[in-house]
Amino acid sequence: MSLKDLLTPFTAWKNVFEDSYVVKDPFNDRPGADRYRGFHKNDISECIGCGTCEEICENKAIDLVPVEGIDTKDGDSGLRPRVDYGRCCWCALCVDVCTTNSLSLSNEYTWVSEDPEDFRFIPGVDKKPWDDNEKGWKKPEGEYNFYEPERVHMEHLEPEARDNSFIEMVKGFSKEQAQKEADRCVECGICVATCPAHMGIPEYIKAVRQDDIEQGFKILYETNPLPEICGRICTHKCETVCSVGHNGDPLSIRWLKRYIADQVDSEDYKKVLGTENIEKNDRKVAIIGAGPAGLSAAHYLALAGYNCTIFEKLPEAGGMMRYGIPEYRLPYDQLDKDINYIKSLGVEIKYNTSVGKDILLNDLKREYDAVFAGTGLHLGRSTRIPGTDHEQVYMAADLLREISLGNEIPLAEKIVVIGGGNVAMDITRSIARLQNKKYGKVDVTATSLESEDIMPADREEVVEAREEKAIVDPGWGPEKIEIEEGKLKGLHVKKCLSVFDEAGRFSPTFDEENHKFFPADMIVESIGQGADLSYISDDIRDNIEFNERGRMVVNEYFQSKAEWLFVGGDIIQGPDVIHGIANGHQAARGIDKYLNGDLKYKSE
Amino acid sequence: MKRNKLIWQPDRSKYPEHDSNGKPIVDLKSQKFTKLWQGPNHPGVTGNMSLELTLSGDEVVEAKTHVGYLHRGFEKLMERRTYMQCFPTSIRMCVAEPDSNEYVLSAAVEELSGIEVPETAQWLRMLALEMARLQVLLRVVPGIASTLSLGLGSQWGMYMREHILDRFEELTGGRIYHMYILPGGVRGQLPDGFKKRMLENLDMIDGFIKRIEDLIFSNNVFKKRTVGVGILKPEWVDQFGVVGPPARGAGFKRDVRKDYPYLKYNEIDFDPFMATDSDIYTRAIVRKQDLIMTVDIIRQILDKIPNDKEIRAKTPNVLHLEIPKGEVYARSESSRGEYGMYIVSDGSKYPRRVNLRGPSYTHAVALLEKMLINANISDVHAIMVSLQTCPPEIER
Amino acid sequence: MDKIIKDLTSRFKVTDYIQQRPNMAYVTVQKELAISLITHMRDIEGFTHFVLLTAVDWIEDNLFQLTYILNSPDKKVDLGIRVMIDRENPTMDSAHHLWQQVATYQRELKEMFGIDFPGSPRVDESFILEGWDDIPPYRRDFDTLKYAEETYFPRDGRGSNDPAEYMKKKLYPDEEK
Repeated sequence: MSLKDLLTPFTAWKNVFEDSYVVKDPFNDRPGADRYRGFHKNDISECIGCGTCEEICENKAIDLVPVEGIDTKDGDSGLRPRVDYGRCCWCALCVDVCTTNSLSLSNEYTWVSEDPEDFRFIPGVDKKPWDDNEKGWKKPEGEYNFYEPERVHMEHLEPEARDNSFIEMVKGFSKEQAQKEADRCVECGICVATCPAHMGIPEYIKAVRQDDIEQGFKILYETNPLPEICGRICTHKCETVCSVGHNGDPLSIRWLKRYIADQVDSEDYKKVLGTENIEKNDRKVAIIGAGPAGLSAAHYLALAGYNCTIFEKLPEAGGMMRYGIPEYRLPYDQLDKDINYIKSLGVEIKYNTSVGKDILLNDLKREYDAVFAGTGLHLGRSTRIPGTDHEQVYMAADLLREISLGNEIPLAEKIVVIGGGNVAMDITRSIARLQNKKYGKVDVTATSLESEDIMPADREEVVEAREEKAIVDPGWGPEKIEIEEGKLKGLHVKKCLSVFDEAGRFSPTFDEENHKFFPADMIVESIGQGADLSYISDDIRDNIEFNERGRMVVNEYFQSKAEWLFVGGDIIQGPDVIHGIANGHQAARGIDKYLNGDLKYKSE
Repeated sequence: MKRNKLIWQPDRSKYPEHDSNGKPIVDLKSQKFTKLWQGPNHPGVTGNMSLELTLSGDEVVEAKTHVGYLHRGFEKLMERRTYMQCFPTSIRMCVAEPDSNEYVLSAAVEELSGIEVPETAQWLRMLALEMARLQVLLRVVPGIASTLSLGLGSQWGMYMREHILDRFEELTGGRIYHMYILPGGVRGQLPDGFKKRMLENLDMIDGFIKRIEDLIFSNNVFKKRTVGVGILKPEWVDQFGVVGPPARGAGFKRDVRKDYPYLKYNEIDFDPFMATDSDIYTRAIVRKQDLIMTVDIIRQILDKIPNDKEIRAKTPNVLHLEIPKGEVYARSESSRGEYGMYIVSDGSKYPRRVNLRGPSYTHAVALLEKMLINANISDVHAIMVSLQTCPPEIER
Repeated sequence: MDKIIKDLTSRFKVTDYIQQRPNMAYVTVQKELAISLITHMRDIEGFTHFVLLTAVDWIEDNLFQLTYILNSPDKKVDLGIRVMIDRENPTMDSAHHLWQQVATYQRELKEMFGIDFPGSPRVDESFILEGWDDIPPYRRDFDTLKYAEETYFPRDGRGSNDPAEYMKKKLYPDEEK
């Protein structure tokens, strides 16, 4: 035993004179650190109730509950996360995975309450003192992501390669690309409500991820009998609400659908879908128009055993999908792949048969048990500005149809297209290709009333049109067409300030001082199409309700007041393919009910 | 009358009697034995386990460890959680040093799925692991004296530890459960000014070490109570799977950081301290040297840590992260010794089996039961704490 | 490591050799040869540090996998030894005579998986689960969620909604599939 060992412990006495280490007022003097993981905050105006927070929570501490004042609408489930702090472990995985960046944790850690129920609340809705705290755990932006925010690049033909050809320009995903893209999905299902056909989007994306193509294909056909077509030209409204798109690119839902459909050979369709033996019944349904609505209705009716006959005015099936959409977006062989399968289910298509001329609607009523009309919008609308009656002024729908039929269309060296929708882009880009072929240069200008940010066309259509050297100059209202000595000279326009009034009605205002002149030898109008309902004879017409805008009125099963007649597609809703498909499907359900005596036009 | 000299460890060769297998014959009805339960509510760091002691006089003749007071079945719970969800679950298998759990889980997941962790993240992980070791040692080094009723050092240690917890709060957002090391990388960069504050804390800890050297390690009473007490025989090391400081105190220089360098430990200059006396005092000294070494390692890390933006590798979507079929054992050196996790994946989103190998599993059960025999009742705590038992990792 | 494995393949018929990383390998060995293999590794090859023993339930194959991980402190390599045993009547030879600590692992396995190790000290004493009367809980067929639901009561007022289903209910409730 050394003396040192006996004495040194006593040196601790010198600490007697030190201050004690105490935080006197922790509520004020000791805020949590900048990254502290305290109670939740939620910016409920940003939150879309996608539920990924609930999904990743390992403690099941989060419920998604409806909140008063937040409506369920496209892209927002109307639900908000409620946190049960009896279970929360403050790991903040919910924050890191949040698709909208709305969820965060505050640095509040001192809050207490005597009532245990207080420890379960909806952050952001139930007001808390820390709602305005700036500090706390936030999603580490730019440092890491729990899912890939950027979409897998879809390869396109280079603009030079596609300038003068109608070869399909989107190449489609490889298996690796598709799985990588499918991996980005968070499976929230927000998109399903927005899809007019309510397709099982998360489910088929999951099938891609798990490389179970057959399962994915079955899911597609549950709600959509035209997947090859929709996988190419669908307006993909689902992608506009995709939760992943809030912080990054939305999922390429359309391309994934195309990927699944591309993987299945036509010969295997029946085997994969289990439709090799369908029990037929003896009832007959007539369908007018082989467009998406008619084909969709025929498909689901055929599956239910009905004998369907489609009457098609034109020499081939597909409607606007064939005669409105250029081949570089939707190759005819892919169109035929979908249509041939529907035909193989026993659906008969009578081509070159115009109802109203070659056969009367009343004959169909007599010979068939029910009729579905999906005749679409094929009559081009005119701006009716002075000069539109000139022979060098054409309708986009007519030209597109002629191109598809393989006929030569009139083609000037300098063309102006009026319109800013997808059809306008289609004709602009088709003209660009044809001009390139014929003259070796492109000189086509598309101008629309709507300014660039509110143009109805898909963004990529505009971008690609420009890549193909077409000029897109939006935001101009057409005034008149300049004609000199019977020769078309060009289009006068004035600056458009706004298109809709405050109530959202179409009511354009113009800057009368700001004019512009587009020189042209030929003008194409593409501002929308109207329906040709001349095949509905007057006696039938009297039995049908029309609304004030001249549209037919139908019930939720697309049944008209004349109960044997069902109507759907562009003439009722849309215009686009996916609405047509959804309408056809729903009408098929309705016809089935009607023929079984379960459906009246108005349920009493 | 001649005074009997107090004998510290009296000869027990005659009594109690032993049977032919060398086991003591304990007949409780003879009234010569006492059953004493230590715990499960023992308020010390040993917490939620209990020792069933059979005493003869003040000496232990038989000891049994009882656990189960903390059992939550984490290994089983993780079988129904995705790999990302496992990470907040895993940390609760050791409250005192949760970072080791985070690390071994992440390392195992990364090894099986072939994820490369960015350079900066590896340094940050190492920093978190060493800070965790530091805060444990700040508690445990003086803690051994607390078991012998010298609590002052522990109070100082706790104060130092609070500073390290403050740094943890800055870096990770949490004080106890840091949830910082996740599969793929880490969750945050070094905050501004962190290095400066950390270095100030380390300087303070240098002073603290000097003070406890004076208070505890040069303390005659402490030496009397610990030198030569609680001997861990070297031949027991492999028999009982002894790792970490107890092994290093018994002459086995085993340190996972040195033997199987992970992260960036091969870029750090350190030499684990080894001693051979293998009693409580030696193990305390080994831990104190570990503390000094940890402070030095943290200084080196802060010096070398790169300032790179990338802190987490790109992984597939964590909501459906699947891991290739296989099995893996990942290990790290915790303050208690080799700490490892064995994960079996069947190729799905969920682990097939997770098994944690914590040092206390053998230290606090088989080894402790062995070491307590013939110990004096007043030394039981000290022996237990000198092995640094952590009940949650026994029963997971 | 390769040399050791080659030797083991001829002597102990080990199969399914996987080199996990340069200093870690896994092999499978028949149940009957397992203990002699482990003894051989400890006494001849210097794998003196016993790392862990655990079980994996392959319920679909009706097998339990026992994994022994041994470590050689000198060579700094690990060997994982897998032993497949029948799930119906799971017994395995005890290894407690090689390392005293193994008795603890075997006691836990008996309790958590119901795997018996005849002769292992105190193997029948309950380890963690005093008073447990259900099937061994770490088996795959023991459903923890169901157990929790039956044993405990949920907190009042909890309940969640699936976004997609909720939106269907709100926006297009009548549409059937």
